[in-house]
Amino acid sequence: MIPNFRYVRPTTVAGVLEELARGDARLHAGGSDLLGCLRDGILAPRSVVSLAGVPELRGIRELAGGEVRIGAMTTLREIASHPLLRERYPGLAQAAGLVASPQLRNQGTLGGNLCQKPRCWYYRGRFQCARKGGDTCYAAEGENQYHCLFGGETCYYVHPSDLAPVLVALEATAHLLGRGGRRAVSLERFFLLPSQDFQRETVLEADEILAEVALPAPRPGAASVYRKVRERGSWDFALVGAAVALSRSDGVVEGARIVLSGVAAIPWRAQTAEKLLVGRRLNAALAAQAGAAASEGARPLAHNGYKVRMLQGVVEEALRSLA
Amino acid sequence: MKAGFGSQQGAAVPGGPPGTPAESSAATWGETLVVGAAVPRVDGWQRVTGTAVYPLDLQFPGMLHAAVLRCPHAHARVKRVDTSRAARMPGVRAVLTAASPGADVPWYPQRGKGPTSKLFDPHCRYAGEEVAAVAAETLFQAREALAVIDVEYEVLPCVAEMEEALLPGAPPIHGGGNRQNETLRYQRGDVAKGFAEADAVVELSFRTACEIHTPMEVHGSVARWEGDTLTVWDTTQGVFAVRDALASALGLPRAKVRVISQYMGGGFGSKLGLNKHTVMAALLARATGRPVKLFLSREETFLCVGNRPPNRLTVRAGAKKDGTLVALEMKALGTGGAYPHMPTSAYLVTDLYACPNVAVEEDNVFTNTGPGRPFRAPGFPPCAWALEQTIDALAEKLRIDPVELRLKNVPSVSQQRGGVPYTSTGLAECLRRGAEAFGWKAARARARGRGHLRRGVGVAAGMWGYDGEPRATASVSLFADGSALLNTGASDIGTGTKTVLAQVVAEELGIAPERVRIEHADTGTTQYAPASGGSQTVVVNAPAVREAAQQVRRELLELAAAALSRPQEELRLAGGAVVTPEGTAHPFASFQAFVASQPLVGVGRRHPHPKGKVALPFVAQFAEVEVNTRTGEVRVLRMLGAQDSGRVMNRLTFESQVFGGIVMGVGFALTEARVVDRRTGTVVNANWHDYKIPTIKDCPAELTCLPVDLQDRECNSVGAKGLGEPATIPTAAAIANAVYHAVGVRVTDTPASPVQIAALLQRREG
Repeated sequence: MIPNFRYVRPTTVAGVLEELARGDARLHAGGSDLLGCLRDGILAPRSVVSLAGVPELRGIRELAGGEVRIGAMTTLREIASHPLLRERYPGLAQAAGLVASPQLRNQGTLGGNLCQKPRCWYYRGRFQCARKGGDTCYAAEGENQYHCLFGGETCYYVHPSDLAPVLVALEATAHLLGRGGRRAVSLERFFLLPSQDFQRETVLEADEILAEVALPAPRPGAASVYRKVRERGSWDFALVGAAVALSRSDGVVEGARIVLSGVAAIPWRAQTAEKLLVGRRLNAALAAQAGAAASEGARPLAHNGYKVRMLQGVVEEALRSLA
Repeated sequence: MKAGFGSQQGAAVPGGPPGTPAESSAATWGETLVVGAAVPRVDGWQRVTGTAVYPLDLQFPGMLHAAVLRCPHAHARVKRVDTSRAARMPGVRAVLTAASPGADVPWYPQRGKGPTSKLFDPHCRYAGEEVAAVAAETLFQAREALAVIDVEYEVLPCVAEMEEALLPGAPPIHGGGNRQNETLRYQRGDVAKGFAEADAVVELSFRTACEIHTPMEVHGSVARWEGDTLTVWDTTQGVFAVRDALASALGLPRAKVRVISQYMGGGFGSKLGLNKHTVMAALLARATGRPVKLFLSREETFLCVGNRPPNRLTVRAGAKKDGTLVALEMKALGTGGAYPHMPTSAYLVTDLYACPNVAVEEDNVFTNTGPGRPFRAPGFPPCAWALEQTIDALAEKLRIDPVELRLKNVPSVSQQRGGVPYTSTGLAECLRRGAEAFGWKAARARARGRGHLRRGVGVAAGMWGYDGEPRATASVSLFADGSALLNTGASDIGTGTKTVLAQVVAEELGIAPERVRIEHADTGTTQYAPASGGSQTVVVNAPAVREAAQQVRRELLELAAAALSRPQEELRLAGGAVVTPEGTAHPFASFQAFVASQPLVGVGRRHPHPKGKVALPFVAQFAEVEVNTRTGEVRVLRMLGAQDSGRVMNRLTFESQVFGGIVMGVGFALTEARVVDRRTGTVVNANWHDYKIPTIKDCPAELTCLPVDLQDRECNSVGAKGLGEPATIPTAAAIANAVYHAVGVRVTDTPASPVQIAALLQRREG
């Protein structure tokens, strides 16, 4: 049951920030995660502030110089089908098209997708877990088949976003607006591990909003891909996903980012695997080698050991598709 | 104690219908015009446009909304319930607890031992057990009131896993301990001797996950009293079963309880029998003098209205070099949760294949989990998962094609029944024709691929073991304008029962199916029919409807023959007219005797099953899969269901049953599992995104339904056998066998999701 709250729909960013400043407020973008959180008692804000009335938060535009900005309120469907994005950042369009189901992609937004709450079923369920102020992480010794391989300390959820790993791979920047003005944070630094902050998933302050995401113009020879493994063909989070962005010159890899979903509380960079690629030509053997290297440092829990092989396989596949 | 209690089992409680006459039934049809045709659903328009009124849609003036407080602990004792604050909450009109008048109702009977619990039992044995209920002006007010009911629990240690229920020190869930009954044993021949004679023996162990039914319409009821008469709109598969149990629970005469379920949004077995919330709605309605609606939330339906119990099964099979089976053995462990239920079935092991030496042991334990309930072919898909993979492994060991090995062992009689012959037995033909249509030999021989995407094909067979409760009454009224009224107590649980029964009337009376109006599933106005479950609905009701229509037909032909001065045998009925051999059509309304005495009424009954024979359906299904060896992903590319269910009553609804059964089997094979936190006994995926039913993208792109109609003239007067359950029995096993063929990994546990397959591939490669 959803508890009562005050609902407001400002028409300007300033109006939104003013509402946030009054405290105990949550933003409503597409609502597909917010409503679940309200219903499951994860969030119980006094105010819900809709972003739907603020037109400048929506849309995809190209700046002079080739940078592309995507407004936080742009829907996943728009991202998945946008010709410019499909051409320049195919991995991003693929990831958007693999989120949830068509209905949810019509409703879900870029900003909402990046700012989802953790998807751990203990956290979402009726467990007074550590993240909710209790004294136990039920996942640590419990049903942790969907939990993390990397960076888990005291809390073991995985970040549910498919877009986040691709945006990190593409070296995107998050533009945040607050009463103090605008600040830009690289997407890689936007997400926080539980060890960095036990209560927050991102660097967003309570009185700030994510306004847009900036994608640098692709370098010559750039390519990107996102490959997602899930238990069913639609309406499912990633068991493991791999985002890869490469730039190549004469077939030789100059820059490589491999970022995993489904394995950590943040988009997880497989840096050892990235380094293997640089200065070499991508082929099947190198893809397999990089896949194997991508699991370096993995610390499986009792029921998620399968993710080690799966991430190796999915990285290998993603790389082979770019070879 | 009251005379009866809530029936949680599948069998309908006898409901006092007229006795069934013993004379044999009419010969079945030869050629048909309407029966067997692809007739669209007679209520399709209503269902699709939303004008069909389901119990969940009902609104009455002054109606209250109710909600149930459930124990959050898997095992606890309620020490104290304080509802005083809740009773004062805005909009609250009644609060129901164990102490309320009429609420001391026994529940969960155990055969031979009586009830094991109560409507509100202070000993809560699973997370989700009922503690109190509230009726309020709005649903929100009712749920808000629940939040302020103060309950003091003594939390007890729990046991969530069936493998741990009998360990020393496991907390006892019932007074007699956690073993529900003595080990059930079945034996024929001498298995030790059989295995000693075998040239090849294989033994495999399996574990099947607990599945939740999750029908589209959540469970619930609306209750309304008029004086001392209670009317309940319940979303149920069997209005008569609910009526009888509800009358017992409330101490009411059956005639004073009316249960209606004209449209209902699916059940798959979880809506057989009376539910606690229906009794609560009736008690709250009586306490307040207002209609009360009590529907469960989606989450609640994952906890307390049934499941397909988890099974642990070990099968051992032995055969001679030529493939002749000489010994079969199964050991089964299952749990129907906290209350009595039969969680396993060894039926297929005892009856699917000819085998002289068979031994079965079934153990059944209590755990602190939600109660089991019949779920589409109870026990059969898990048993098929185990048996049919073992047969597959045996075929490999013997180097015999899996289809050939099965064909080698087709029985001609029901061995489980001591050698009773079948009215028809299509196992061999399902295997042969299915293999032919699937292109089995070529697909089996085809390269499986050398890259990371491997293809494989698999087969599994099955049968269903229940022939129905041969007892139903129906009436047909024909008007001179060529329209007819069919009265039957049967529920149409989404399978097309109404359409098929309308076709039977149309066939006999020469009218279009859409000219038949159907009055059904209402204990106040319609004739007795057993619950729609057990694949018996058409098998039991269609013959009764046919007999009713035949009576009308005879009467009409008699009066037409008299009016036209022609012998009856020359006349036929078509297009709402009596047609002469010359082709002259005399509309029904042209017969004065008919117009004056309309409607013509016929009453038909279901006659007993054929003596000395048994009518059961058979099936063989074939699957082709693609497995990604890097990630463990499995795609079911195509499936074919060869189904011997006797006559195809309606090509469209037949296909829908087969496709639906296969898709449900895909869920059992690949995606579905209730997950219980071992330490707390709490279900962690009690919702539709964490509990994964297949989406359209998980369905095989190519689905083929191949009816194998052996023209059974003996099974009953319409020639149809059951279909709903056999269609889902071998699906998962066929998929698992295809996965094995593709990558050589035997997936013994469900679901065969990438989670498991990636782990198995990893283990194999070390």
